[in-house]
Amino acid sequence: MNETTQNLLVFGGVLFVIGMVGFLTRRSLILMFLSLEMMLSGVSVNLIAFSRHHQNYQGQILAVMVLTIAACEAAIALALVVSLYRRKATLDVAAWDDLSETLIPKVIESPQTLEEPAMEFPKLTPAGLDPLSRPISADFDAQSMENGESVKANTLEAGTHA
Amino acid sequence: MNLLNNYFLNSAFFAQTDAGTALPTAVSQVVDQAAPIQAWTNSMLVPIVLGAVAYLLIQHGVVKSKAYFAGGAVAALLAVGFALGFTPGTFESYVLMSFCAVATGGGIGFLTAREPVYAALGFATAVLSVCGVLFMQSALFIAAATMIVYAGATIIIFLFVLMFAQQTELRTYDVQLNNPLVATAIGAILLATITMCVTENNAILPVRVDSTRVMSAASLPDSLSSEAGKEASKKLDAIDPNLRYVPKLTAGLGRSMYTDYLLAVELAGTVLLVATIGAIALAQRTTETQS
Repeated sequence: MNETTQNLLVFGGVLFVIGMVGFLTRRSLILMFLSLEMMLSGVSVNLIAFSRHHQNYQGQILAVMVLTIAACEAAIALALVVSLYRRKATLDVAAWDDLSETLIPKVIESPQTLEEPAMEFPKLTPAGLDPLSRPISADFDAQSMENGESVKANTLEAGTHA
Repeated sequence: MNLLNNYFLNSAFFAQTDAGTALPTAVSQVVDQAAPIQAWTNSMLVPIVLGAVAYLLIQHGVVKSKAYFAGGAVAALLAVGFALGFTPGTFESYVLMSFCAVATGGGIGFLTAREPVYAALGFATAVLSVCGVLFMQSALFIAAATMIVYAGATIIIFLFVLMFAQQTELRTYDVQLNNPLVATAIGAILLATITMCVTENNAILPVRVDSTRVMSAASLPDSLSSEAGKEASKKLDAIDPNLRYVPKLTAGLGRSMYTDYLLAVELAGTVLLVATIGAIALAQRTTETQS
């Protein structure tokens, strides 16, 4: 049964670490408190494993106390979150950064969004004159082209049609 | 050897937790020699690092692309496989391991899901699996209480607040994580340290029952307890010696709690009362000054 105890201690450590990583990475106040609860459940697993290992009730009673304190903490934390939300209408923990020291430089964050679908443009058939292959000559007379008299314009149109 | 057999018979699913049926130290030493603890090897770092990589890939892939997500899932499976390589293979341990694996998976889901409600669901999964683990460790009362308090009350209240404060679209602070690389590195180092400490030689003391000391009034060993306790244990012995090994789990927990730890229970009640008052005072809407 020693291995079970050992495995459960490692499992409690895993839960604790998951909670800790969540607490460090999450930025929403509510999820940070959920991470705290996760850490506490890891501690509970630890206590229960030792309670079974030593075949007595001490660990279980300590786990009951942990549960009680966790319930109290959740109640107070949620009341705090609600009152904080009423002030700034955001759950971002960074919104309350000005409560800390002002000497620490603010981290400039690159905006990160959920995936954007790549835009697809419709393919149009080319129309009109291609100014690269047939550059418009410097003496091109738009006025004469409107009148339809210019031979030069006629040849240009014929060239595009061909 | 008969004692050992009794011990194994009764601890097949519900371990006896009553210290009144204290096993002699010699028996626990025999059990320990039969099942020594796993010693630390450097290859135990592999599942830890794989798990960290899995977390990073999945948390990136949830937002960016499915390829990262798939890679993270593969890494997580590999980590689970490696971790299983270090554990013994009885059926009971496999059930326990699967509870642990589901709990860890729920935890990873909790860490990586960007929608807060999904994260809360991952947390609920993890907590329910932890309840299964506690149940298998014969902590029935704690398992039930955890299920009611955490998975019932706490999650529901968290969801209420989440619904109250959450907009329909995701905010930046939901999508963006705070330094996931640094946090994962710290977590991996901490987990490696914990594993190292647990797998150290003599980290888990072989003597699990200290029969020389009365731990609890609830344990009532027949040599040291009241006359009534001696009478009761004699009666039990007369009926069937094995009866004394029948676990009196929750009853014993309650007895121990309300005898040895009465002061702690009173203090916990006081803390609950103070927390209730504090929560009501904090959540009160500040009334506008009426002109």
